[in-house]
Amino acid sequence: MTETKVHDVIMVGAGPAALAAAVYTTREDIETLLFERGVVGGLAAVTDMVDNYPGFPDGIEGLTLAENLRKQAERFGAVIELGEVTNIAKEGKLLKLETTSGDMLAKTVLIATGSDYKKIGVPGEQEYYARGVHYCATCDGAFYRDKRLVVVGGGNSAVQESLFLTRYATHIDLLVRSELRASEVLQHDLQKMVDAGKITVHLQTATNEIVGEDNHVVKVVGTDNASGKKIEFPADGVFVFVGLKPNTEFLKNSAIELDEIGLVKTNEDLETNITGVFAAGDVRSGSTMQIATATGEGATAALRIREYLEGHKQTS
Amino acid sequence: MVKNITIFTTNTCAYCAMVKKYLGAKGLPYDVVNLDEQPERQAEALALSGAMTVPITVVTKQDDTRQVVIGYNLAKLAPAVA
Ligand SMILES: Cc1cc2nc3c(=O)[nH]c(=O)nc-3n(C[C@H](O)[C@H](O)[C@H](O)COP(=O)(O)OP(=O)(O)OC[C@H]3O[C@@H](n4cnc5c(N)ncnc54)[C@H](O)[C@@H]3O)c2cc1C
Repeated sequence: MTETKVHDVIMVGAGPAALAAAVYTTREDIETLLFERGVVGGLAAVTDMVDNYPGFPDGIEGLTLAENLRKQAERFGAVIELGEVTNIAKEGKLLKLETTSGDMLAKTVLIATGSDYKKIGVPGEQEYYARGVHYCATCDGAFYRDKRLVVVGGGNSAVQESLFLTRYATHIDLLVRSELRASEVLQHDLQKMVDAGKITVHLQTATNEIVGEDNHVVKVVGTDNASGKKIEFPADGVFVFVGLKPNTEFLKNSAIELDEIGLVKTNEDLETNITGVFAAGDVRSGSTMQIATATGEGATAALRIREYLEGHKQTS
Repeated sequence: MVKNITIFTTNTCAYCAMVKKYLGAKGLPYDVVNLDEQPERQAEALALSGAMTVPITVVTKQDDTRQVVIGYNLAKLAPAVA
């Protein structure tokens, strides 16, 4: 059933981009509804510590930053509905969103759905999911107190999460397919843990299989790319951080244009090829995938939405 | 009818906050077992759910039947506490 109410703006996702946008739209008296299928605060909420968000000289816990963003948006009247948007389509001059709470109509839409963890696609990964194979250190790390872990990946997330996991694990083998791509600051912190014997970094090492016995993970089998030799890493658990994939599957039946990796294409006003539909944050093609830039894009999108609603662009 | 609800959590778990937010909005009281503060209860969480993850939400009904919801999964949590 389609709700008859027409919302000024519906935001898909309630991560940093949408929450920042909502602060701006609601302060402009633009009625704002956000849909969130997971955690309010998005990936920022599941990040242990954020050290590079301006204004917090000592860093801020991701969960606290997310909570602050939520409170700020709600303070000015943003409404957050827990549910999922499954499609967006034009309905005359309006936009129709199919959601788990029924169909909704809006004058404008902001797509701010971010991205989710990629899988490596090796044997054992699916089988031991949540029973030895994990994608969220702040969620599942506590189960590995005094245990041995393997972390797969070589980017910022892999290194940052490995550092977090040292508070629980006795030792971590970090398997990096090619070279480390993490920032210098993170690599510096990583070196301290390497020197302390808590983390061993294995560069040029492919991950081939996650092996279990009696229903739990016992080792990871990898290959040294240079010699082609198989290597076994004993492990009680594996955390995978090999990059992100855009949350745009829900747009596959829509007319919204995506780039070759599935990110939403926009013009410089952050508007998509569909009039009245904007995108901001990690899901937008060309975004720089940081919390500060996501909130910045959210603010920009909100101002463009205001202009749109004021009638400047209602040509359709 | 729900008799009681227990959520296994940790200090850093964002999805746990979402479960609490959902139950709070429904006006349902719950007990919390924080595995960072009570690591000795990890085995219990694992035995109940078969998963090494939080949140684990254990919903006990008036007739003492139990439903265990792994993670923040509204499709399972909503009917479990209805
Ligand atoms: C481990 C890790 C550490 C990081 N550390 C830092 C850091 O230190 N500093 C930094 O600046 N950045 C960091 N980042 C990146 C940062 O988290 C992201 O750039 C930022 O969260 C992007 O915000 P967003 O709002 O665009 O998307 P997200 O945070 O991904 O939020 C999008 C939201 O949309 C929801 N959603 C998706 N699809 C739907 C749908 N169909 N219907 C309803 N809701 C939907 C999702 O559940 C999610 O909550 C880190 C990322 C990771 C993974």
